[in-house]
Amino acid sequence: MSTALYLTRRVLQALAVVLIVTIVVFCLLHALPGGPARGVLGVSATPAQITAFNQAQGLDQPLPVQYVRFLGRLLTGDLGTSYTLNEPVGQLIAERLPKTLVLTGISAVLGLVIAIPVGMWQAARRNGAVDYAATALAFVFYSTPAFFLGLVLIIVFSQQLPWLPSQAPSGNTLAEVFQDPAGLVLPVVTGALAMIAVFSRYMRASTLENLQEDYVRTARAGGASTATILRRHVFRNSLTPVVAMLGYYLPVLFGGALVTEQLFNYPGMGLLFWNAAQTSDYPTLLGCVLVISIATVVGTLLADVAQSLIDPRVKASRA
Amino acid sequence: MTAQLAPEAPGAASLVQPVAATGWRLAVRRFRHNTLAVIGLAVIVVIVLFCFVGPFLYPTDQTHTQLSQANLGPSAAHWLGTDAVGHDVLGRLMFGGKVSLTVGIAAGILATVVGTLWGSVAGYVGGWVDAVMMRVVDAGIAIPALFILLVISAITTPGVGGLIVILGFVSWLVPSRLIRAETLTLKNRDYVLTLRAIGGSHARAIGRHLLPNSVSTIVVAATFQVADAILLVAYVSYLGLGVQAPATDWGGMLSAGLTAAYSGRWWLIVPPGLAVILVVCAFNAVGDGLRDAFDVRGR
Amino acid sequence: MSILTTTDLGIAFATESGTVDAVRGVSLHVEPGETLALVGESGSGKSTVALAAMGLLSGNATVSGSAVVDGHEVVDAAEPALRKLRGSTVSMVFQEPATALDPLTRVGAQIAEVIRNHGDVSASDAAARAVDLLDRVGIPSPAARAKAFPFQLSGGQRQRVVIAMAIANAPKLLIADEPTTALDVTVQAEILELLRRLAADTGTGVLLVTHNMGVVADFADRVAVMLQGEIVETGGVEDVLLRPRHEYTKRLLAAVPRLAVAPAGAAATGGSGPVASAGPVASAGPVASAGPVASSGDPDGRPGAAPVVDLRDVSVTFGRGARAVHALQGIDIAVHAGETVGLVGESGSGKSTAARVALGLIKPTSGSVHLFGSDLRTARGRDRRALRSGIGVVLQDPVASLDARMSVAECIAEPLAVHRRGMSSADRRKRIDEVLDAVRLPRTLASRAPRELSGGQRQRVSLARALVLSPRLLVADEPTSALDVSVQETVLEVLRELQDDLGFACLFVSHDLAVVQQFAERVVVMRQGVIEEQGTTDTTLLHPTTDYTRRLLAAVPVPDPVLQRRRRADRLATLAAVDA
Repeated sequence: MSTALYLTRRVLQALAVVLIVTIVVFCLLHALPGGPARGVLGVSATPAQITAFNQAQGLDQPLPVQYVRFLGRLLTGDLGTSYTLNEPVGQLIAERLPKTLVLTGISAVLGLVIAIPVGMWQAARRNGAVDYAATALAFVFYSTPAFFLGLVLIIVFSQQLPWLPSQAPSGNTLAEVFQDPAGLVLPVVTGALAMIAVFSRYMRASTLENLQEDYVRTARAGGASTATILRRHVFRNSLTPVVAMLGYYLPVLFGGALVTEQLFNYPGMGLLFWNAAQTSDYPTLLGCVLVISIATVVGTLLADVAQSLIDPRVKASRA
Repeated sequence: MTAQLAPEAPGAASLVQPVAATGWRLAVRRFRHNTLAVIGLAVIVVIVLFCFVGPFLYPTDQTHTQLSQANLGPSAAHWLGTDAVGHDVLGRLMFGGKVSLTVGIAAGILATVVGTLWGSVAGYVGGWVDAVMMRVVDAGIAIPALFILLVISAITTPGVGGLIVILGFVSWLVPSRLIRAETLTLKNRDYVLTLRAIGGSHARAIGRHLLPNSVSTIVVAATFQVADAILLVAYVSYLGLGVQAPATDWGGMLSAGLTAAYSGRWWLIVPPGLAVILVVCAFNAVGDGLRDAFDVRGR
Repeated sequence: MSILTTTDLGIAFATESGTVDAVRGVSLHVEPGETLALVGESGSGKSTVALAAMGLLSGNATVSGSAVVDGHEVVDAAEPALRKLRGSTVSMVFQEPATALDPLTRVGAQIAEVIRNHGDVSASDAAARAVDLLDRVGIPSPAARAKAFPFQLSGGQRQRVVIAMAIANAPKLLIADEPTTALDVTVQAEILELLRRLAADTGTGVLLVTHNMGVVADFADRVAVMLQGEIVETGGVEDVLLRPRHEYTKRLLAAVPRLAVAPAGAAATGGSGPVASAGPVASAGPVASAGPVASSGDPDGRPGAAPVVDLRDVSVTFGRGARAVHALQGIDIAVHAGETVGLVGESGSGKSTAARVALGLIKPTSGSVHLFGSDLRTARGRDRRALRSGIGVVLQDPVASLDARMSVAECIAEPLAVHRRGMSSADRRKRIDEVLDAVRLPRTLASRAPRELSGGQRQRVSLARALVLSPRLLVADEPTSALDVSVQETVLEVLRELQDDLGFACLFVSHDLAVVQQFAERVVVMRQGVIEEQGTTDTTLLHPTTDYTRRLLAAVPVPDPVLQRRRRADRLATLAAVDA
């Protein structure tokens, strides 16, 4: 199958998924107290205004019709108006999303850069003392709630040892945020530690599996050393399933960002979402859900594309 | 045409391990040799006893507030001190633990059951039904669980039963993928093909062959789901979706004690935090051990 | 000086169920320029000896004794020393070409890696030498192919790449562990020819590990026979294969199905009479004539009786458009009551697909399938199930054919549970005992679990299950291909007896022409979804009419070295004539 065909297929699948997400969000919208009218008119709308709005907007129409209208509004970027901040949700998100993406991006990159070599190394030295220690640490870190981890880091590194600030830099633009890199350290580390725990396990398992494969024996029969085999053959073969996993880990990463941003007061989308939840700001809540889900779908798609670049067989056979 | 030559003498130890033949005894033996898994199992037993039997050995009042006893550090009277409204922390740990464990285990099992049904149907039927069912799963996975939970928390405050259902609802997606993969493998096994060729029904194929052979995968998935669910319960209270006072769970204790932590009252957050880590770790270790013992792929 | 000498070699493995002595007291030697075949069935330890010579045994192995390769002791040698030997002094070709190569690296690069492991060669030089090697092993357009990934090559081509990697540094000893077992018979003949030529060109010693006596007769100068970890007989290939001395060797040779061959046209071979049987004939085995006597007479002449299963103009296509795979193209196969029809062909021929169509597991894209006279397309519900109850199925893989979670009795009784639900448990018990007797298995086996049984026993249980409803048709898809030769003999004997007794029709799919020749009255030769020719076994396999069938037959190696040499010469002459 050519690249173009494979990509088209994956994109279509992604679109189907996004469509289903919009249906879920739409259902949630209609499950809210007060309904979508509130979402547009604001909290202080009177019942009369709501009824008029409902009629004018055709909210007495059958649900499927409303859904189509909803989709239409989405496509024009209209995600409603925030109850509390009185700004269009789309604008709020557009301001905050890049910051969240940067934070999660740095955490992810840091996490992978450490996890992949560690995982491979563990597999090469299986059942050694370091393997057990690393495994135990990995277990602990992915069993720890992110907010507890963050809290401990703050207490240790901000209070007991005043090395790092406990709050992330505030500011509206990315540039302002980057002016105080020290403030980014703890939030990034919190996100990265869980990721290292999970992905080092994946990489370890994948490498162990590949070490059992026949091609390793063939390479060894040709006189290659273990180090060479790991580097030249096992590494790339082990990477493929891990890259696939990355797509599925994105939602976890974003969920973690939610907690981290709240804890460290980082002005990203997670904090926006958190505040919206405290004040029952439904339009913002749902707008965030939609956007973050789309971000995840796009991320998964990119991970799949990356996978097909590493592994030429994927295009040829995968459905 | 590849000759996987089976050993001739029955029971003769051979270098080729038969595929589907990991007997229970062998699995148990392998599990016992896995130190981390055995420790994990012991930890789980101890903590369950601690939460459910503990209050009889160390009775405390967890319903009435006693402000005169508030914010005391650990002492002989209160081994882990008291919280902001005077409850004994150690007792609260047991009390909250009951909720965390019950909800976590129930939600984990619910998620596995739903996921198994969904995944096995999708895998067995195949075709466009499978495609649609899996796109739904993909959509569910795409929405981060914490986001959905936070939205729900803004709408309602559920009781314990509602909490179990909600957590199960956001967690069934991952097991469904695992079971689907397992089903796809199993439905093409020779013994299933033979059954279909001689006229056996789909129901028989699923009930007598597919499900029993999936048990090890399902059990492993369930263990990991419980671990994830207990972790999720901790998050959920932190997000404000948890049980109402005076009931609590470990997440609730963490959430309530958050501000206190900065002012040095470590006994309010360290015990529940450690409890969560310990239990989730233990379930993960047991799940890992089970997976190695049964030789299950995936996750 | 010998290129390989093992003295009293012993290898034990520490497994979960205790220590296993895989090899005991093995002493052998390979001289430069000669080929020693190490023969045995599964569990004989032959592959273990081969791996030991390369120092490639797994970590839980304990080795005693000595193994010297070109003057270097390999047992308990240090890893750096072994690395210097591997790929340069001694190299190995493995059994499974499908998994032997790194799927993510181009084949040229993998060959170049072996070259650069043993010398300071620049990347471009190594790449150029890799292309040369691809040419030497017979890969067309080597420069372009060097850039291909393994999944883009066929099984035979992948094996050639592995061979190229093995000869890259002109090794003194080449170890080949079942190098052609996973390949089609025509490809096998080519690969053996390649190996022989390469060894002869460079005077390399070859240690050939195999279970196939025909391959031994084709390739080896000397033979060592192994049984359960020990060598029981050694000698020149003609001595061991034609005049075996040890009991086990005699039994092993007797169990090998012999392909009876007709003398080739102009290059008439000798032999007594027009049909030369390929070696000493065992007493209870195949008769000198090439096929069993048809118990129900010549099926073509039978008036009126509907065939038991009838595929008419069946086509099966998988996928769509440009990527469509035409597994079957308009084939007609009919099996009449009581007769055995053998379906033969190489991989991709469609024979397994045809069997699955007959079983109703695959719906044909066009054409019709009639089972016991009824059209499968129109039969519905209860009628359809009743039809299915007349079929018995035996498939290839002994491990996957029985559900490990059920006892033997439950496995056998499953068809009863599907079609005879009213049967009392006492009656069911009786029936299970009856079929166990019929397949010559002890009744006590009924309560055991499949994992406690050997491969041959499992296939017989599968057969018992197939017979429990007294079927009129037995469909067997490579039922003995995964079994050792001696075990295969028993299973086939049982099958033949049962057919004589019970008179069911049989559709027998196999890639092994010798087995089909013994067993089937009619044979259908398939190739890439089309029927090449069909007819009675005698006619088709002794006097084939199509070129393909002739080539197929010529490529099958027979266990008689003298006869095989002549066959090989004839075959090469024919191929040369075609090319000229």
